[in-house]
Amino acid sequence: MTPAVLAENINTHYGRSHILRGVSFRVAPGETVSLLGRNGMGKTTLLRTLAGLVRPSSGSIQLNGSDVTSSRASVRSRAGLAIVPEGRGIFPNLTVAENLTFASRANAKGERPWPLERVYSLFPRLSERKHHWGNELSGGEQQMLSIGRALMTSPSIILLDEATEGLAPKLRDEIWSTVKQIAESGIAAIIVDKNLNDLLALADRNTIMAKGEIVFDGTSAALRSDEALIHRHLGV
Amino acid sequence: MLARPRPVVIVILLVLLAYAVALPFFGSAFALKFASRVLITGIFVISLDLLIGVTGMVSFGHALYFGLGAYSLYFISPASSAANAFLAIPFGILLAGAVAAVVGSVVVLTRGFYFIMVTLAFGQMGFSLFFDTKIAGGTDGAYINVRPVFSLGSQQLLNFSDRTAFFYFCLVALVLSYLFLLWLVRTPFGRVLQGIHHNEARMSALGFNTYAYKLASYVIAGAMAGFAGVLFAAIDGYVAPELLGWRESGLAIMMVVLGGAGTLYGPVLGAILYSLVEETLKSASELTAIFSLVMSSTTAKWLGGILANSWSMALGFFLIAAVLAAPKGIAGFIEKYSGEAKRAKPREIKPLAETRERAKAMQLEVENLTRAFGGLVAVNGVSVKFPPNKVHGIIGPNGAGKTTFINVLSGALKPTQGNIRLEGEEIGGQKPHNVARRGLGRSYQRTNVILPFTARENCALAAQAQFPSPFRVSNQWRGHEEDKAVENALKASGIAPERADIRASNLSHGEQRQLEIAMLIASGAKLLLLDEPLAGMGPEETGRVTALLRALAADHTVVLIEHDMDAIFAAADTLTVLVEGKLLAHGTPEEIRNNAAVREAYLGEWGQQ
Amino acid sequence: MDLVLIQLLNGVQYGLLIFLAASGLTLVFGIMGVINLSHGSFYMLGAYAALTLTQFTGDIFLSLVLGVPLAFAFGFIIEWLFIRHLYDRDHLQQVLLTFSLILIFNEAQKLLWGSYPHSVPVPGYLQGGVKISAFLTYPYYRIAVAAFCVALALLMVFVIQKTRIGRIIRAGESNREMVEALGIDSRLLFRFVFAAGVALAATAGIVAAPLESVYPGIGEPVLIISFVVVVIGGIGSVKGAFIGAILIGVADALGKVYFPAFSSSVVYALMAAVLIARPGGLFGRAA
Repeated sequence: MTPAVLAENINTHYGRSHILRGVSFRVAPGETVSLLGRNGMGKTTLLRTLAGLVRPSSGSIQLNGSDVTSSRASVRSRAGLAIVPEGRGIFPNLTVAENLTFASRANAKGERPWPLERVYSLFPRLSERKHHWGNELSGGEQQMLSIGRALMTSPSIILLDEATEGLAPKLRDEIWSTVKQIAESGIAAIIVDKNLNDLLALADRNTIMAKGEIVFDGTSAALRSDEALIHRHLGV
Repeated sequence: MLARPRPVVIVILLVLLAYAVALPFFGSAFALKFASRVLITGIFVISLDLLIGVTGMVSFGHALYFGLGAYSLYFISPASSAANAFLAIPFGILLAGAVAAVVGSVVVLTRGFYFIMVTLAFGQMGFSLFFDTKIAGGTDGAYINVRPVFSLGSQQLLNFSDRTAFFYFCLVALVLSYLFLLWLVRTPFGRVLQGIHHNEARMSALGFNTYAYKLASYVIAGAMAGFAGVLFAAIDGYVAPELLGWRESGLAIMMVVLGGAGTLYGPVLGAILYSLVEETLKSASELTAIFSLVMSSTTAKWLGGILANSWSMALGFFLIAAVLAAPKGIAGFIEKYSGEAKRAKPREIKPLAETRERAKAMQLEVENLTRAFGGLVAVNGVSVKFPPNKVHGIIGPNGAGKTTFINVLSGALKPTQGNIRLEGEEIGGQKPHNVARRGLGRSYQRTNVILPFTARENCALAAQAQFPSPFRVSNQWRGHEEDKAVENALKASGIAPERADIRASNLSHGEQRQLEIAMLIASGAKLLLLDEPLAGMGPEETGRVTALLRALAADHTVVLIEHDMDAIFAAADTLTVLVEGKLLAHGTPEEIRNNAAVREAYLGEWGQQ
Repeated sequence: MDLVLIQLLNGVQYGLLIFLAASGLTLVFGIMGVINLSHGSFYMLGAYAALTLTQFTGDIFLSLVLGVPLAFAFGFIIEWLFIRHLYDRDHLQQVLLTFSLILIFNEAQKLLWGSYPHSVPVPGYLQGGVKISAFLTYPYYRIAVAAFCVALALLMVFVIQKTRIGRIIRAGESNREMVEALGIDSRLLFRFVFAAGVALAATAGIVAAPLESVYPGIGEPVLIISFVVVVIGGIGSVKGAFIGAILIGVADALGKVYFPAFSSSVVYALMAAVLIARPGGLFGRAA
């Protein structure tokens, strides 16, 4: 089966700083893969490289079977990849409704699994605030907006970078239940998050990054049973 | 840093010089006049290179001073006799310099695009002063009826009406101007200008008053342009408002870039090239001659005629092609063929000699430190002591406030509440360069060294910052102390001697990070605050720099934020754990490892099992 | 007093015209990050196009209808041929390369239309003017130009606030990267924005043509003043360009009345003052 995401031997540099060191990453269609690891280990850089926002120095990337290594981010988006970045990236000078409908389109099969009404029912708060400017929203609402906007591009692959970061527990739970819905809806997902338990429960597969390399790739059961590994790469 | 010109370049310059010296013997009167004009333009564009290439200030109004110099000759020249060049030249220089000081005090407050615009604006103001009013003949321009003369009493030493004498005078003037700037750029003052060009923020953080330096550069450049203007007015004895206009300023920038900004000699070559191209394009007969080489004479004549009529269009295309093909100009082209030594492999760091005494470093004490941004409390009541001569690590999950904490300690941010004491002295709320002066040096997540300088030059700059009295042109004063500081810094940071004279841009990532630390040491820091010094490093570099940090503790106190747990557990004497702005734990690595609360902070509910 | 009134009216009308040119410039600089010195050339070319087109159509507004799409297409081509190579280059190179364009455009203009000044007729139905006092009439055409500029400004507001392309432009102002990441090719966006900027400058040139004679070099003052407006109003802000342009127009007019010898300097002094007080301009992001 053609993988949704296939990255091979990716090396990414920022100037002289060698951030990703020969990373290979694979996601099957509809699979949910977690990307774990402490800060500064390269997780965000990997997601940005997959999305096309950062050029790797070497390596190749395929999305749903087509080679996108030298393609722009806009091409990858149209190929079905959506990113919900760290920092949310919403447009502060557009309204909620304008943000959501900004890049609304059907997928390759002409379907729209996430039309506006569905997004509003997923996030009632956004519906209440549809004419507010983006910069008038709270952090949690901006997070919802960023996710909703991504969903409206009808992606087959979604990258979620710290979607629950900095949110109060109740809001966190709300967003996490949406993340679960998304993961279970058939979209291939790569999720970066801090809450280990929740993530392990949701993910079909888990990967850990340390110092720019993938040091673990396996099931949640396998990871849970290896306490030493968890402490070594995720704890202190 | 601006090196002495390479041998190839010196040869080229000497050949040109020889040609110039010989020119009056075989050249026509027209050629002599043309060459004089080129020489004067050379002085004008070299002065602009001081701004653009050396200090990094792109001025679109430099012709203002050139024009002022020219008009000053008109003002000082009596109606029907010669002005005394001994008076006229200094008058022009002073006038231009004074205006540059006044205008500069305002424009130097801006940067980048805005600087371009404000300098353009003032240039246009100058233009309209002479264009719209009748101060000096308005749009018709003004005439200087008799060329200036160098006279002492009744003795005529040099008459500018004498074409040959004037030509040689301009030649000497250009050579002296070039040598002057070449010397200036290599003084401590000039070093700072170059540092400002490449990393103004860093220079400011080191403690230099960048405004004063930039203003000085602007005034010197303006005065020199005024000098060129005086000479220019003496060529034809005619001045017009267009001399101050933006076309002139734009063409000057063109010549600087064509020749190679920042090299000083490049712009002179650019001036020569541009003048020749312009002259050729304007002349139908010359173009025809060139074209006849590749096509029939009738076509050549036709094409030559058209091009000569529309020479400025051809010029436009030529300039576009030149800038696109050779962004570094002629000088860049020449220098490509005399490249730098290849990178040698970095060597193992030698630990400091055991016979060195342990110098007592500084201790840092933080009491109830809080920093809030509106409703968000990034650092919340943190109290911790960092004893001297130890390595202290700060760790914590993302968003824990670690970088904000360091920013407050280094003075980049003011504390909302609480105290910071360095060796007992309160430093909370001080500006970064004052904190740096007290001995607390801070490095950044992204490498912040001055890339075109060598490692040694970077350290020299840092050492110089300890005594930042502006406009130091002498290398002697304090030179010895600074050299010692530089040597010590290079050694202590483990940069191998053979690597010290390589450009920072050619050093490996790890070496660049070491250079960051070296700069802090050279600037006299006794307490080093390092933000993720190991980021982006492979295992070998990590090992090297970690060993370096431990070695540094002999003389300094090292406080660092890191995410590489293996490295920081091995290197640190104590660890401080920050979570959501609060201090969660502080102790030895062993203690922290066994601390349940810390585990939970990293692993969430997982850690509770 | 009448003189002051006329000057003020002229100043406002001048400011409105400058707004058209400056709005294009601010969008190009704000969204694409490119300093384009040849912007004034498009104003000039618009005026000369008006000259030729009006010889065919006989009416300046008909010339407008023909001229604007032509200008847009021209801008499209120039961006594709040339401007798109500037995005990765530093300001210095952008300044030089677009400065060279000025030389080329100026020469092209001379080849096509010659160096002598020409005049473009005011349409018959707008001849004459409204009586302000016993001795002074204010020309209908100037009022028409002002009204046209205001209408165009309102149209721009509508496009930016209410249309899809306007949303993309606004989004591109605040987060270019995310626009690309959501599937919109920023290269096409840039081409469109640049072409729109050219069209705006050319439009200003066309409607301004009957006001004074058309001669080589009318583009330069427009270029410089447009940059001044952009600096005052804030890079990327159309609202800022509007307010800045009106301010400039009025300041220039008052300068002509009260400081005739230094009237041109008033504008620059104003810019310097704004830069010192508010480095980012009145409505722009911080410098």
